[in-house]
Amino acid sequence: MFKPHYVVFSCLLFVILYFATSSCTIDKTDYEDELTTEIPEYIDYEEAVKLSIGNYNISIQALNGTLYTGYNDIRLTVTNSSTNQEVSDVDVTLLPIKTNAINETSSGPHQYHLNYNNENGYYSGYVVFPNKSDVANHWQFYIGITDVYETLTASQDINVAEQSNKNLNMTTFLGHDNDMYYIALVAPQSPKIAENKLVAGIYKYNPPANTSTTFPDPEQFSYSEVENYTLKLDPRMPEPSMGNHSSPNNKDLIQEEDKLYHGVVNYTMTGNWTLNFILINQNGKIVKGTEVPTDFTPGIEGAKSELFIDILF
Amino acid sequence: MKHLFLLFFFWGCTLSAQNTKTKQDSITVLDAVELKTIAKSKLETDLKKSVTVDEFLASSNNISFIKRGGYAWEPLLNNMSTERSAITIDGMHVFGACTDKMDPITSYVESNNLSSITIKSGQEGGQQGATVAGSIDLKRKKTMFSDQETWKGAYQTGYEFNNQQFFNLGNVSFSNTKLAADGSISYRKAENYSDGNNDEVNHSQFKKFNTSLGFSYKTSALSAVKIDAIFDVAKDVGYSALPMDLWLSRALITSVSYKQLFEDKTIKLWDSKLYYNTVEHYMDDTTRPENLVHMDMPGWTTTYGLLSKVKLQKDNLSSEIQLNAYDNLSIAEMRMYPQDYSETTMFAYSWPWVTTRYVGLSLNNALDISYNSQLNFGGSLGVHYNYSKYVEFNWIFHPGAPQEKTRLLPSLFANYNVQLNDFDFSIGGGYGHRAPSVSEGYGYYIYNSFDRYDYIGNPDLKNEVSYEANASASYKTEKIKIEGNLNYFYIDNYIIGEILSMGSPMNYQSVGVKGYTSLDYATLFNAALNLEYAITNNLHLNGTVTYAKGQDQDQGNLPFIRPLSYLATLHYQYKNLNFQTSINGDLEQVNYSPQYGEDQTPGYTIWNFSTDYTFRIKNKKTVFQVGVENILNTYYSTYADWGNIPRMGRNVFTSLKINL
Ligand SMILES: [Cu+2]
Repeated sequence: MFKPHYVVFSCLLFVILYFATSSCTIDKTDYEDELTTEIPEYIDYEEAVKLSIGNYNISIQALNGTLYTGYNDIRLTVTNSSTNQEVSDVDVTLLPIKTNAINETSSGPHQYHLNYNNENGYYSGYVVFPNKSDVANHWQFYIGITDVYETLTASQDINVAEQSNKNLNMTTFLGHDNDMYYIALVAPQSPKIAENKLVAGIYKYNPPANTSTTFPDPEQFSYSEVENYTLKLDPRMPEPSMGNHSSPNNKDLIQEEDKLYHGVVNYTMTGNWTLNFILINQNGKIVKGTEVPTDFTPGIEGAKSELFIDILF
Repeated sequence: MKHLFLLFFFWGCTLSAQNTKTKQDSITVLDAVELKTIAKSKLETDLKKSVTVDEFLASSNNISFIKRGGYAWEPLLNNMSTERSAITIDGMHVFGACTDKMDPITSYVESNNLSSITIKSGQEGGQQGATVAGSIDLKRKKTMFSDQETWKGAYQTGYEFNNQQFFNLGNVSFSNTKLAADGSISYRKAENYSDGNNDEVNHSQFKKFNTSLGFSYKTSALSAVKIDAIFDVAKDVGYSALPMDLWLSRALITSVSYKQLFEDKTIKLWDSKLYYNTVEHYMDDTTRPENLVHMDMPGWTTTYGLLSKVKLQKDNLSSEIQLNAYDNLSIAEMRMYPQDYSETTMFAYSWPWVTTRYVGLSLNNALDISYNSQLNFGGSLGVHYNYSKYVEFNWIFHPGAPQEKTRLLPSLFANYNVQLNDFDFSIGGGYGHRAPSVSEGYGYYIYNSFDRYDYIGNPDLKNEVSYEANASASYKTEKIKIEGNLNYFYIDNYIIGEILSMGSPMNYQSVGVKGYTSLDYATLFNAALNLEYAITNNLHLNGTVTYAKGQDQDQGNLPFIRPLSYLATLHYQYKNLNFQTSINGDLEQVNYSPQYGEDQTPGYTIWNFSTDYTFRIKNKKTVFQVGVENILNTYYSTYADWGNIPRMGRNVFTSLKINL
C-alpha cells in the first residue's frame, strides 16, 4: 500500500540527516595539545656529562640530558669507583670554559662551588651558557674534587646545544655602570595564557684584579648573582597588527631566597611576546633599559626597551 | 550524533509502519489540552503575510531590535538585551554560539515551523528560566491526532525586490488516530539591500535553510510520545555593521517528550521532555580585505536539558509546576594570523569552555477570586552553576577568581486582574535574580564594534536583582479597544561594561578594554498605548505609541532604549481583497547615552502599503499579496542600528501562499 506520508517524512528525515552529518565543520582547537607540542616541557633530569677523576666517577645531569644555551640547572653525583658508593663529603667545583678559534677563553655565569643537597642526594648548581658549541667555540667543564687528602681536577669536553625554546632565552649587556650583565630566563618553560610565574637569573661578571699565571684560574672567570636589584617588566606583543598590545597585572621581578628573580607575567594569547625590561640596582639607579610607549598603535610594530628578551609560545 | 539520527530515522519508519486506522475514543481528550496551548496569534503582521521571525517579533509592543545587518536581529524585550530575557524554543534553552551576538535563538527557527510566539513580560516569564526582562518562547507547530486520516500542507513563496530576497517555504502534516507528524522545509536567499539613497549596503546578504520534523505517537488513550527536530543552516551572511561576516552557522535542535493526561483528577497533565541541541558558528573576515588582521573566530554550544511540567486544577485554582534543567557548554576561539604568515598564529579562547548548569523549579498559579477577578501568582527557585575549564584566562584580569560559581536565583511575581463592565485593570509586581551570561562572566577580549571596546567578563559579578511593578488598563467595546501598559524595573547590580584602567586592546579596531561591572542600580520604564478602532465593519484603525526610559544610578541614560515610537495601521476589506497601509517611526532620540557609545539618532517616519487577494485554485485556498515598505524611500537608521547602518529603502514585496 502506498503511504505518501511515509515518503514525505522520510525525505525530510534524509534531508536533516544529510545536512547534519555530511557537510564539513571546523574542528575545535586542542589547546593543551597545541601548547605542549609547540613547546616541549622537560621535567626529567638525565645524564649529560660523565667523567672520572682519580677514584671518583662523576655524572652531571641536566634537563633532557642536554646542556643548552641559557640557564641550566644541573645535578651532579660523585661515586667512589672502588666502593661503588655515592659520596657526599667531598667539595665539588665546576668551571665551564669556552675556547674560541683564536684560543681566547671565556665563561658564563655559573655556580663554582656546588652545594650538596642532602634531601635529594646530589650536588646542585647552575650554568648559564652564553653561546652554543660549534666549530669555533669549544666548551669544557673543569671539575675539581677535594676530599680529605687532596684536590683532584679534570676536564671534559661538553656540547652546548642551542636552546630552541625561546621562553628560556637570555641576554648579555653592558650596564650603564660598565659592568657586564647576564639575564637568563629560568621559568616558565611552557607558558600558558594565564598568569605565569616568571623566573630569571641575573648575574654580573666580576673582572679579575690581576692577570693569572695558572689555568684554569676561577678568579679569571668569576660571576655573581646580583643582589637586591629589581627587574621592571613590561610584556608586549611585537606583531604590528597587535598594535603594541600588553597585558594587565604583571609584577616586576624581585630577588627571592633562591637568589633568582621572581615576578609575574600575563600572556593574553599565544604568539610572539617581547619582555621589555628595566634593570634597577639596589640604589634605585637604572642599569639598563628604557620605558616603552604604552599607546595602542595598530599596524605599527611596538618599540622595544633597550633591554628586552623575545619569547614565543 | 550520527547514531542519534539513525535512531530517529528508524523510529520514524517504525511509527509509520504501525500506522493503522483503529479508532480511539478519547482522542478528543488529548487534543483538547493541546488546543489550549495553541496561542491565537498567527505568524503574520498587519502589513505582511509572509514575514520572517524577526519581522513578526517586531510587531510586538515590547520588542525592539538591535540590527547588525539584514539577518538575525537581536530582540530586546522591554528594552533589555538578550542576556536579560529567557529565549526558548518550546521551552528548550538554546544558546547562540557567537560571541558577537550574530545568532540570537530567534535566528534558528523559521516562520513556517512556528505556530506562535509567547512573550511574557518580567518575572511572569520566570517559568522558562531566570530572567529580568521576561521570556520569549517560540512555539513549534504541532499537528493534532484526528479521527480521519488527514493530510495538510502549505506552500509559500515570495520575492522582495529591494534585496532580491527569494523564499520558498513548505510544510506538510499528517495525522490519524495514532500518529501525527509535521514537517517543514524552507530556503531564503537575499542579496545586499539598498538604503533610502539607493546605495547598496555592503555585507547585508544572507542565505538560510531550515527544516523541521515532528512525530507524535499515541501510546494510549491519554498519553503520547513526541520526537522533534529542527535543523537550521545559515551561510554567507553579511553583517554590515560588524567587521566580520558569517561563513556558516548550523543548529540542530532535538527533543523527545512524553505527555500523559489524567481524567477526573486534580492532576490534569504531565508533560516531560528531554532535549539536546548543538550550535556551531564560523565567522569569516576574508570578505573584508580592509581588515588589518585575518582571524578565525569559531564558536560552539552544546546543551542538554530536561523539562517536566505538571498541570493541576482544583476548584478555582489552577497551577502549573515546572522543572527546568539544562547543561550548556559554550566554547569560542579566536586565532589571529600575523601579517607575515610564516610567523606563528596567535590564539586565545573568547569563551574558555564555560559550562552552565541550571536547575529550577517554578510554580505558577491562577486563582479565580470572583467571576470578574483573578490573581496570578507564583515564583521559582533556581540553582545556577558555572565552571570555566580554562579559568587561567579569567585570572589575567581577575586573579584568584573561582573556577566554579554557584548562585541561587529566586523569583516571585503576583498579578491582580479585575474586569469592571467594559474596563479591565491589572496590577502586578515581581522580584527576581539573574546570573551573568557566559560573556558577562567569562568572556575574554570580546570585541564590541558598537562602542569599539574589547570586553572582559568578571566571574565574581553579583546577581542582577530586579524589582518590577506593572499595571495595565483597557477599555473595550464592540467598536473600540484602548489599552495602556506600564512597567517599571528597578534593577540592582545592573551589569554593564565600564572602561578598565588596565590592559590594552587585542582587536586592532578597538580603542580600549571594558570590563563587565555592576552598576549600583539602574531603572527602566516602559509604556505602551494601543488603540483599535473599527470605523466600519470593513475599515479598522490600529495605533500604538511606546515610550521608554532607562537610567543608571547617576541618572545617565542607558544604551539601546527606544525613543518615543509610533505605529498606525489602517485596514480595509473589500470582499476577498484586503488593503492595509501603515506609518511607523521613532521621534528624535533625546535620551541617548554617549558614555556607552551612542550618538543621537534623528527621527524618521516610514510609510508602507500592501494589498492581498484570497482566491481558490482547485478548491485550495490561495492568498496573493503585494506591498511596498518604505514607499517614500526614506533614508534612515534607528537608535539600535549597530554603527548607524542605514535601514532598507523602498522595498516591493510579493508573496503567494497556497494551502494544499
Ligand atoms: Cu559571529
